[in-house]
Amino acid sequence: MRILTAVLRTIRNSRRLAAGLIILGVMVLLALFSPVIVNAIGGGKDPIEVAAYEKWLVPGPGHLLGTDQFGRDVFAMVMKALSVSLQIGAIAGIISTVAGVIVAFVAGYKGGWIDGILSTFTGILLVIPTFPLLIALSAYAKNVSLFQVGVMISIFSWPFAAKTIRSQVLSLRTRPYVDLARVSKARDLEIIVTELLPNLLPFIGVGFASSALGAIFGLVGLEVIGLGPGGVVDLGQIIYNAITTGALTLGAWPMFVVPIVLLTLLFAALNMVNIGLEEVYNPRLRGVAGE
Amino acid sequence: MKSELELRGVQQRFHARGVADGYITAVDDVSFSLAASPPQIVSLVGQSGSGKSTIARNVLGLQKPTAGSVLYGGKDIFKLSRAEYDEYRRDVQPVFQDPYAIFNPFYRVDRVLWKALKKFKLADTRAKGLELIEESLRAVRLEPENVLGRYPHQLSGGQRQRIMLARVHMLRPSFIIADEPVSMLDAQVRKHFLDILLDFQTKHGMTTLFITHDLSTVYYLGGEVMVITKGQIVERGPVSTVMHEPSHPYTKLLLDSIPQPDPDQRWTSRIAVDELERVDDANPAADTKPEAPIL
Ligand SMILES: Nc1ncnc2c1ncn2[C@@H]1O[C@H](COP(=O)(O)OP(=O)(O)OP(=O)(O)O)[C@@H](O)[C@H]1O
Ligand SMILES: [Mg+2]
Repeated sequence: MRILTAVLRTIRNSRRLAAGLIILGVMVLLALFSPVIVNAIGGGKDPIEVAAYEKWLVPGPGHLLGTDQFGRDVFAMVMKALSVSLQIGAIAGIISTVAGVIVAFVAGYKGGWIDGILSTFTGILLVIPTFPLLIALSAYAKNVSLFQVGVMISIFSWPFAAKTIRSQVLSLRTRPYVDLARVSKARDLEIIVTELLPNLLPFIGVGFASSALGAIFGLVGLEVIGLGPGGVVDLGQIIYNAITTGALTLGAWPMFVVPIVLLTLLFAALNMVNIGLEEVYNPRLRGVAGE
Repeated sequence: MKSELELRGVQQRFHARGVADGYITAVDDVSFSLAASPPQIVSLVGQSGSGKSTIARNVLGLQKPTAGSVLYGGKDIFKLSRAEYDEYRRDVQPVFQDPYAIFNPFYRVDRVLWKALKKFKLADTRAKGLELIEESLRAVRLEPENVLGRYPHQLSGGQRQRIMLARVHMLRPSFIIADEPVSMLDAQVRKHFLDILLDFQTKHGMTTLFITHDLSTVYYLGGEVMVITKGQIVERGPVSTVMHEPSHPYTKLLLDSIPQPDPDQRWTSRIAVDELERVDDANPAADTKPEAPIL
């Protein structure tokens, strides 16, 4: 309850954060209702079945965004792919954030040799070039599920979350209010949850948003160069199809443009959330108008 | 409640880069004891970096000394049984320097009081708890309705520091460890605060270890004074004796370096900064990290 009011207070203080969250909210809603939308488009049959309609129909009243090389409705495909992209972002974001937070707290709060080992490990993962490794991994991952893709990508993104949060834990754990909690007989876990965690919410938010962003775009990157794991159709996959089939020359421009517009919006929204949160916890970045 | 708090040969070292042997000794073989009865005020004076706060953290069990021991009722505070630990925690309580940083900005100020009530089982019903809180707030001359339900940034430094005193009032420890509690308060609020401490001594029999670098507050509080320099306690005695017949050269220098309250005497003898430095060359401001994890 208290956390909820704090979150609301934070949002009210930053217009950027609010704007980012609204865009994100609309996209999430679209994704949530994508099965319904897809159904409505199909009107009884599956609009993204191969040969559901004629190939390469241009955008028009029947098919708002036309059809692709297999005669699938592009609008329906985009809706479904948006939902897939967002799910991958959410899965990778949650895994990275949880792993990052746990490692950061253990390392930062316990200090000493535990911190040494964990920080070295995190450091190693941070300097490994991620993209080539992802390429290698996805070469093996032929028919993988959406969840597996999310896990695969989050292996490489949690260290970023861990690094930011750890440095915050290090600075917060020496605060006098932590000492006061200790002389009030609070246990370590209690201190972490009740004293440190609430003050770290913005950082955790940033960690989540950046990991989600990294995961979505990491996957798009893989797919655009044709190395995406098979079996998962996200926005990147549609762009790849548009490129390889020369859709633009056939007048099927929405197949290329719409996913890119959606990805751009997503990128902007997640970054606005990031910057907004940063503004809130780092008042030096705030405009002169203050709170 | 146990009657004595004792430091025996306490040494605290910290790893430090850029120092000859790789560590600095913040507290160097310090031994002293504080008795709960008769209740007394013992001031610990020394300049910045002399190790005062580190001693406070050792005594409060927030930092385990690298050598020596802190004894509560004759037992090492880091080796207490569950029940003994509970008693020690309740009986030795702090007031810290910074009235701003002591509150978690996320919560209302009442929380520190409720937490103390709950953790030390001072009241079994909420109504009774509120009664205790209000009583303690009044004891430190705060109006409950002016502070309860507020966030820390809505209160003045003096109000916040008095909430810490109210917390102490509720817990009734035998020992208060006050680390420069008035250094961030203005003169009037400062006197107010010191009067409450003196009040606690006489009314509730609390013994205070009062850490400060300001000799005028030491004068005001009276009682005993210990002088610390470079992590070592060089002198201890009644305030009047130490102030008038200092036996250690550092104490003399410390006394010379403050302006006298008598306007005619103010700044008559000047002391050069390097003179102070020679006697007490400050610890190197090095990039340091604790030898043992703070826990
Ligand atoms: N956690 C720590 N890690 C490393 N060095 C420390 C730590 N705590 C204190 N020190 C060092 O120990 C020395 C004594 O510090 P301490 O805070 O006890 O001094 P102080 O007498 O309280 O000074 P002040 O009057 O400025 O508060 C200083 O040189 C300080 O740099
Ligand atoms: Mg200090």
